[in-house]
Amino acid sequence: MAEEEISSDSPSSSQPNQENPQQTQMLESSSSEFDPKTMRNTKPGVKRLFLTFSVLLSFIIGFPFLWKSIEIYRTPLPFTQIESFSSRIESNPLHFPCQFQAVFVGFDIRVSHGEVGAEITRKMYEFSPNASRCGVCSNYDVSVVVDSSFGCVGKGDLRGSDEDADELVKNCLGNGAGGGKVYSIVVVNEEEDEVRAVVGKYRHAWIVGKVSEEEAVCRVAEIFAKVFVNGGNEGSSIREEFMPVGADGRIVLSFSLLNANPQDWIYDWNFHEIDETLLQPVIEALQPIANITVESQVLYHTPKSSFSYWDDKHGSHIFSTKDLPFFVNSNEWHLDTSVAAGGRSKVLQLVVYIPSAKECPLQLELPNGEISNTNGFISPMWGGVVVWNPPSCRKDLESNDPVSHVISPQDLQMIFEVLMGQLRQLLGLKSDNHYAGQSGTSVLLGSGRGFTEWELDVLSRKHICFNLHSCATTLGSLSRLVQSLPRMIIMDEIGKQVKFSLEAAKFAQSNASNGIYDASAVSSRHSRSLAEDAFFHPSIMSISYYSFEHCFAIYSPFFLPVSMHVVLAALREWKRYKQENRKYLAWKAKAKVTP
Amino acid sequence: MALSPKATLPISLLLLLLLHLPILFSTTVSGGEEEFSEELLLKPLPDRKLLTHFHFQSEAPITHDGSFATHHHLFPKAISQLVRKFHIKAMELSFTQGRWNYERWGGFDPISSSNAKPPGVELWAIFNVPPHQVDAYWKNLTHALSGLFCASINFLESSTSYSAPKWAFQSALGSLRYGTLPREAVCTENLTPWLKLLPCRDKAGLSALMDRPSIYRSFYHSQRLHLTSSSAGGDVLNSRIILEQTLTVVLQPNIPRAGMNYVSETNIQPSWSLSSIFGRKLNGRCVLAKSSTVYLQLERGLVTQLENLQKDTAVFSANDTGSGDFRRNVGFELSVNPSKVHTEMEKSYSILFEYPIKEYKDSEQFDLGLTWKHPLVWSSPHAPLYASRFLTGSGNERGAIAISLKSTESTQGFVATNNEERCKLQVDILQIVPWYIKVYYHTLQIFVDEKPQAVKDFVERMRVSPSEDKVSPGMMELVLKFPCETKSAVLNIDFDKGFLHIDEYPPDANQGFDIPSAIISFPEFHAGLRFSDNATSESPLLSKLQEKSHVLSYSEVLLVPLTTPDFSMPYNVITITCTVFALYFGSLLNVLRRRVGEEERLLKNKDANKGLLYLALTKLSAKLRGRSSESAQPLSPSSSSSSSKSSISPKLVLKVLLVAGIAVAWQYYSQ
Repeated sequence: MAEEEISSDSPSSSQPNQENPQQTQMLESSSSEFDPKTMRNTKPGVKRLFLTFSVLLSFIIGFPFLWKSIEIYRTPLPFTQIESFSSRIESNPLHFPCQFQAVFVGFDIRVSHGEVGAEITRKMYEFSPNASRCGVCSNYDVSVVVDSSFGCVGKGDLRGSDEDADELVKNCLGNGAGGGKVYSIVVVNEEEDEVRAVVGKYRHAWIVGKVSEEEAVCRVAEIFAKVFVNGGNEGSSIREEFMPVGADGRIVLSFSLLNANPQDWIYDWNFHEIDETLLQPVIEALQPIANITVESQVLYHTPKSSFSYWDDKHGSHIFSTKDLPFFVNSNEWHLDTSVAAGGRSKVLQLVVYIPSAKECPLQLELPNGEISNTNGFISPMWGGVVVWNPPSCRKDLESNDPVSHVISPQDLQMIFEVLMGQLRQLLGLKSDNHYAGQSGTSVLLGSGRGFTEWELDVLSRKHICFNLHSCATTLGSLSRLVQSLPRMIIMDEIGKQVKFSLEAAKFAQSNASNGIYDASAVSSRHSRSLAEDAFFHPSIMSISYYSFEHCFAIYSPFFLPVSMHVVLAALREWKRYKQENRKYLAWKAKAKVTP
Repeated sequence: MALSPKATLPISLLLLLLLHLPILFSTTVSGGEEEFSEELLLKPLPDRKLLTHFHFQSEAPITHDGSFATHHHLFPKAISQLVRKFHIKAMELSFTQGRWNYERWGGFDPISSSNAKPPGVELWAIFNVPPHQVDAYWKNLTHALSGLFCASINFLESSTSYSAPKWAFQSALGSLRYGTLPREAVCTENLTPWLKLLPCRDKAGLSALMDRPSIYRSFYHSQRLHLTSSSAGGDVLNSRIILEQTLTVVLQPNIPRAGMNYVSETNIQPSWSLSSIFGRKLNGRCVLAKSSTVYLQLERGLVTQLENLQKDTAVFSANDTGSGDFRRNVGFELSVNPSKVHTEMEKSYSILFEYPIKEYKDSEQFDLGLTWKHPLVWSSPHAPLYASRFLTGSGNERGAIAISLKSTESTQGFVATNNEERCKLQVDILQIVPWYIKVYYHTLQIFVDEKPQAVKDFVERMRVSPSEDKVSPGMMELVLKFPCETKSAVLNIDFDKGFLHIDEYPPDANQGFDIPSAIISFPEFHAGLRFSDNATSESPLLSKLQEKSHVLSYSEVLLVPLTTPDFSMPYNVITITCTVFALYFGSLLNVLRRRVGEEERLLKNKDANKGLLYLALTKLSAKLRGRSSESAQPLSPSSSSSSSKSSISPKLVLKVLLVAGIAVAWQYYSQ
């Protein structure tokens, strides 16, 4: 091929020289019709054409390689999986299967047990219209036991103290139902008129009194649906989506004692004692939901930043509920985030505020004009504040040095009961000890650990739900971010974290639907923290983002002029070849006509 | 009262335990309290300035049952958590603006040797962890401190900015790290978090005096945080953590124009009061402080001068020159009577007036003032050698660092009397240089009394860790011994300036690069005051003043100009290289495509009727237009003009279109 080229090109390289003699020959041999402008008698050479086209071709072939070489590294993220995961979480909430058991003692029920169960289930759906909300039981599985003399619980046994009754019912049910996570209610039909419904510390409740069958079914359904499934609170101020648990599954409870003005009096507390006696059981109880650490400090010179006024009727200084947003003085209250806590732990501030002498006693007035019993308030996701007034608000004027007091154990216990109530509210539970439903009021028995078992179940369901939600939103925003910046570097590690997060989320979902709460809680926490890790990966944070403009500015000084040359040369050669070829063809036709 | 049965049980158990173990009881009680104290030291300086030194000390017991770093009453929670998380044994962090003037303000007293700090940030820490983990802990600590104090201490994280000296500080067996940031600007955003660590912040007590404009207008201010954990006799149970926060400010008191009826107005020291220097009076103490005291110190030199003055004036000669009458003497007058006067047990002694602060009513606030009555000239005690450091050499290639040590006459006599035969003066020098200053350690030269001397005659010990490019700074520790009669000594060491990678230049590269201060210490000299009465040991500041610390001084920070590139250079290089390549490539392609015979024939035709000049011009234009020669080639001269025109115009259109297309594509893409 090459030789052929050379042989065919060698005359054409000296074309102008050649053409003249040829033309003269032409003129001589054939008649005067041979026109050198329009005809030629040799084939046009393809050497230059071949050269320019091969250069052009090599450029075109080389371009993808160049493009590949300047490509930045992006781990492929499973965008479609993230998309489908978050849409699944959005559209159909997590469903937890729950088992319920109703025990009727002393009833004479004629219909079959199944029918009673179906009736209770129907009533339960009526009571919870918003069953589509995340973190509630949806697959109700109600079993009914009708027994004239149910095991050990007889008539009159449950009329003693609630604590004893609770233990009694626990023992009975523990024997009967195998001790699984079954919510049960024992209804004992008695002659006494007073109907008493108590929800115990474990996963059961009992109703004692003279109740009709319909009433009993109604009440059982309500307690199942509202208390055991929903935690007994509806329309609470805290939105369900918020759980004050850090992304690493930790909560730091930071207790602060604020002396508004230490010139008046200084109060100290014996926190260590409270920590051991009151807080440790709570921390242990909440272990499945979050890993809780406690720390405390005493701060001084911390005035509140809202105003209060003297009220003669109550004989105290009053601050009202509309002052609450300004009560926390972020300039002077150096509550501090904790250094000991890891980067993404949640710090909940629980503050005890001791007013200064000129605003003592300080009381919180509720919107209805009454004085608050607890004298405290919470701020969701931030923490709670309790105002504690010293026993005597009179400043000792004689001595210049203020005496330092220690809050008495009784007062401290009272304060901590309020604070624990606030903690329950922050976690989204009720702080009352009774539940008023449509069909009557039930007593909620408090646990010494602060949280009863059924409440912990509600919390862990909510927690799983919250974790999966936040995982979905984090991954969703990560994928949107990555897609919106096409030239951002994405490390392998991020890809791995996203993958594992999705896997953990899937695992949590499947466990939840099988009713394995603990494993589900662990993997949901895992999925959330992995998603956060991926989103806050330092390589994303850095500005090492190589823009297209940058790339263009570096490569254009070479490729722009060179590609102009190459393309234009190829075009010209092609045009010339066509033109010359036409001349040759014209000559050929002419030669044929005039042989 | 569900609590009480549960709560009393452990208490009774504890009581039972304590009854059996009285020794344990005593230790827990003595180490059980958290304490805080605040003190202020005022000292007139010889050059008409005033030293104010705030000293706050918080103490907390370290218990190992978990209550340390979780439950606190006075001790700042943030610091205790830091100590616990990073296993800090001791730490010092200082923020300084300005340079301590060793010549005028003295170099041989406890304040100058422990509170005079190099400009910018200085941080050292000793960790209680195995040696291989120290670096990791240091890095985390720098980040934590950076967040806590709103400063860029996190720049000390990179291994090029810190080092591990062995001899300069108390021996820590490799678990000490030291780093400085000479260029850190110190301002009120660093002071506010520092004040947050005090229980009263600046709401009450001595810290209420800290008027930000006065502090930041001062000649020198250094804010320091010093952490030590003391364990009495190695007893784990009784160990305490001590947090010492000091703020040292050198101020120029305003000279009031009115009331100055002395002739020698320029010679007399300016009178001052707390309200004139800070613009505030003291309202009361911080009620949480165990002790709250203001001290006024008169230096040895000043006291000697006052005594001389006392002797000279006949009126007061009869009076008792004892310490009791110092309020109203020949030299000056104090506005408040001190409650106590401490004098030193030396021949030449310094005096300390003590003013305990109590609660004040609005009418009577504490406002200590000092009015000078007689011009006095004195000088502060100096370190045995006055150290200064400078650069020699010129250009951007190489230079030399010189550390010059000059003998100060004031201590000459002291040194001479110290030990008669073979009197030697030990000097420790720690010099850290960044890696881009490539120091040749073999070029170390010593000139003693301006004569070159052999290095080994004076260097007792030497420890050099050479710098590693982009990894670690170079460090040189020297222990030198000079004869006492040495007048001056100069250490000289050569270096080459290195090149940095383009990313490694700081934003303001043309300003130059800082070499951190060298630390020059005199381990045989102890700066400490000796007061007679034992009662002073209650005050943390007084015990600090009496502590026998090494005399220490910092040299100047050096500014080395390095070659700074034009930062657009890489792009220029890319552009010019690409252009050259494009030119080469284009012309190569043209040469390959060229039809020489055709061109020559055309030229021959043209030669017939055109001149030589025209020939050259057409050749040039042909070259410029590239291919016009070939298109014109087949044409006869008569018709060439018309056909060439027609062949050029679509080409032009094509070019214009191409450029327009690229522009449109570019516009489209960039949107």
